[in-house]
Amino acid sequence: MSGATIEVLYFAQVAEHMGTRRETQALDGPVPASQWLAGLVARCPALAPAERLKLAVNQQHVDHEATIRPGDEVAVFEPVTGG
Amino acid sequence: MVVVQTADFDPAELYAALQARASGQAGATVSFIGTVRDYAPGETTRSLFLDHYPGMCEREIQALCDTAAQRWRILDAMVVHRVGELALGDRIVFVGVASAHRGDAFRACEYIIDALKTRAPFWKRETLDSGRAFWVRQHEADAAKTAQWDTRKPGHEETKP
Repeated sequence: MSGATIEVLYFAQVAEHMGTRRETQALDGPVPASQWLAGLVARCPALAPAERLKLAVNQQHVDHEATIRPGDEVAVFEPVTGG
Repeated sequence: MVVVQTADFDPAELYAALQARASGQAGATVSFIGTVRDYAPGETTRSLFLDHYPGMCEREIQALCDTAAQRWRILDAMVVHRVGELALGDRIVFVGVASAHRGDAFRACEYIIDALKTRAPFWKRETLDSGRAFWVRQHEADAAKTAQWDTRKPGHEETKP
């Protein structure tokens, strides 16, 4: 699976902290979402604590127990405030 | 019908469209309209910016409408949600439900707006008159209200198996 990637989307305050709304990341194989998220927070400490962050994989809400796989679209955001 | 748009909407037009889609079967139509208000205590809100996740927003809201149609006897549900820059007093969201019976229409409408607030990927950024801006935090009360629907509290029981 060398060369495999995921598309990562950031929204609202998370996008501000990351300085971008979208990036492509290399991902060679399945990874637990919690582990992937810990890596993201290590890269951008302003996002901490990781427990507060919400994830969607392929436009579906998932919890931190989910698995992220090459080819996935992963979104990272804070609790939603629409309506 | 689910629409996410920057433009304002006309509640009368949406009501008429809902009636037309219900083909004369709607004995009851319930609608909810959310507007931009002062959120911060003690300071006046100047404007609101709504960020969103295109695609997932429409998918999540449609799923909520489908769930409502499974739990209650409704003919149609319609949601229009605005994004982008909004001023104090502007309309944000319209939820309309048509049903033969008012009880089902009220419950389905309340369920959709409650669940939308905790599941649909929108985020509000508020700018105060002073120029200070911040991302709005999700209210714990909103999350608790949605959770109540999941535990099927008395008085909100389904009318469909």
